[in-house]
Amino acid sequence: MSTEKRRFAVGGFVFTLMALVFVSGAALLIASARADTVGILDSVPLSTTDGKQIYERICQGCHMADGKGAVGAGRYPALAKDLALSSRQYMALTILAGRRNMPAFGIRHAIAFEGPPMALNEAQIAAVINYVRTHFENHYKDSITAAEVAALDRTLK
Amino acid sequence: MTGQPKSGISRRQLLTMIGLSAGGTAMYQAMHSLGFAAESNYQGPIHLSAAPKGASVLVLGAGIAGLVAAYELRNAGYKVTVLEYNARAGGRNWTLRGGDRYTELGGETQECGFDPGLYINPGPWRLPYHHRGMLSYCKKLGVALEPFVQINYNAYVHSRKAFGGKPQRLRAVKADYNGHVAELLAKATQSHALDADVTADDRAILLDSLRFCGALDNNYRFVKGGASSDRRGYERDPGGGLTARPVFSEPVALSDLLKSGLWAALPFGEIYDMQTAMFQPVGGMGQVGQAFARELGPLIRYNAKVIDIHQDEAGVSATFEDLSAAASRQTVKADWCICTIPLSILGQIPMNVGAAMAQAIAAVPYCTGLKVGLQFKRRFWEQDEQIYGGITYTDLPIGQISYPSSHFFADGKGVLLGAYIWDMLNSMEFSSMTPAERVSKAVEYGSQIHAQYTREFDNGVAVAWHRVPSAMGCFGLWSEGSRAQHYDNLCAFDGRIVLAGEHASYLPAWQEGAVTSALDAIDRLQQRALGAGSHA
Repeated sequence: MSTEKRRFAVGGFVFTLMALVFVSGAALLIASARADTVGILDSVPLSTTDGKQIYERICQGCHMADGKGAVGAGRYPALAKDLALSSRQYMALTILAGRRNMPAFGIRHAIAFEGPPMALNEAQIAAVINYVRTHFENHYKDSITAAEVAALDRTLK
Repeated sequence: MTGQPKSGISRRQLLTMIGLSAGGTAMYQAMHSLGFAAESNYQGPIHLSAAPKGASVLVLGAGIAGLVAAYELRNAGYKVTVLEYNARAGGRNWTLRGGDRYTELGGETQECGFDPGLYINPGPWRLPYHHRGMLSYCKKLGVALEPFVQINYNAYVHSRKAFGGKPQRLRAVKADYNGHVAELLAKATQSHALDADVTADDRAILLDSLRFCGALDNNYRFVKGGASSDRRGYERDPGGGLTARPVFSEPVALSDLLKSGLWAALPFGEIYDMQTAMFQPVGGMGQVGQAFARELGPLIRYNAKVIDIHQDEAGVSATFEDLSAAASRQTVKADWCICTIPLSILGQIPMNVGAAMAQAIAAVPYCTGLKVGLQFKRRFWEQDEQIYGGITYTDLPIGQISYPSSHFFADGKGVLLGAYIWDMLNSMEFSSMTPAERVSKAVEYGSQIHAQYTREFDNGVAVAWHRVPSAMGCFGLWSEGSRAQHYDNLCAFDGRIVLAGEHASYLPAWQEGAVTSALDAIDRLQQRALGAGSHA
């Protein structure tokens, strides 16, 4: 069992049970009480720590390939030239804990539904923040580390 | 552990813990309280008394919840106005047919190239027999229903890691699992291992039942022979004449079956929400929204993008941009408002409600569900593999392949559901692709189950719900923690505004949740309206 999977757990008690789940797949059918898609699905956690890859596989689903967001009945905010990104901490907290329609990606906060939670570890979050803040017409000089993301995570309940 | 979960533990993890530690009954009860195995609370047709004279209601959103609310309130005599962002009614109740154009967020436009009569339901697609609210509105509005084949014993269960990646017929996996388990139980019974739990009188009955239900032979063994082939199918089917004699099939060994993991797909057709009989509207789920639209006619204002909702002592007003008229801005007023706008969007619209409702609206992220519809040049799943409707389950990222439950044996092209993805990582990755890439991936993965895909593929459409401009998500993703903290606040009236929709129900993603939440909301609205004596 990988470190990544282990981090989904909260406390030793849960850890033990979650180990059972991941090793045996024994619980996979439970969530199917509502949706029947997941029974035998074997989703593996995202393993890359390349910020560009994380953006292109996860973030651009909403924020779009050009980072410009989109507008419909509501909107996905543009990341291109977004002043909010001047705070790397704001960005980290948003990714960790989610914001309204945007799901939480922090390991302690991500919702598990139909497969493992879509969680990113601290190194992955740092990587994608640093990528976004230096692309899409953003030119921030400062960067964030995995340790800083972890420290910010500890400020969340 | 049945108390309040800590943050970070999902509902599913919680259920897992309960299930592993306390057994099935406790798990069912827990599932019930968390909103999983919940039944519809539909109580039969609503009978609203006459509306107070002149009372008016503003309904925001013409999805199923908004349509039900508008229909019933209008019938009760309220002056109803519905504002809808799309140029059509139904919301997530939607069918894509040949000739339809769909532009997703980001600007990609797809032209559906399906043949006449063929379609895909990007959103809801099936109606359980106990979703009586939906079924009754279908009947009332003249929407014809036909069987939806949920469970098909001749469809496949498939894992890349089992049986060399070769799809297995559900029929065989189910028979083998039941048979092996029955044989083990019979052995335990005969060796008196169960004597503490089974009386001497019951032992013989138990053995009889295991032999019958598990298709065991006279020696209580699950082996190749007439009994097992009668469940799992034959190597060569019985027939007539000189080729009459059947050839029995060989059951899969217990260990192989267990290690395959395919047993995890067995209960799907036995889950309450998926039990036969299920239904679908003839011609696509979107028929329901269209039927409501015909009924309500000019009460629905289409192409209306709500940008502000404001209430005071006098009433509620909604300001909207008329998207069909160069974004001209207008305001509609009413005494009351039933707001069914998905929380994914509502959270961005200024609305003066109290902190409790505002926080509830902000607390619910949306599922990233996604569907791909594929048209093939012929119905090879029927012609080559005798699969008529039903679903193949796979561990591939596409999740499942569902075969059409209508037009069986038809010549010409056919459309199947080539991907239905809920798993969050897979659905986010698919959402991040262009529509053409999603279709191409669905074909590539599906060809591992049906080799005919490569030659017979014709065209496809892909709908990623986070990219749908009017929804920005598939459905509200409550956690057990957020539901405990916010659900009641989300559903409670705030002044003159009440919310409805699947997000305001214990039946997330199901249309029945939208129906029952709407009925509950208008019932409370009526009480308030009557209690208010005269409207503003």
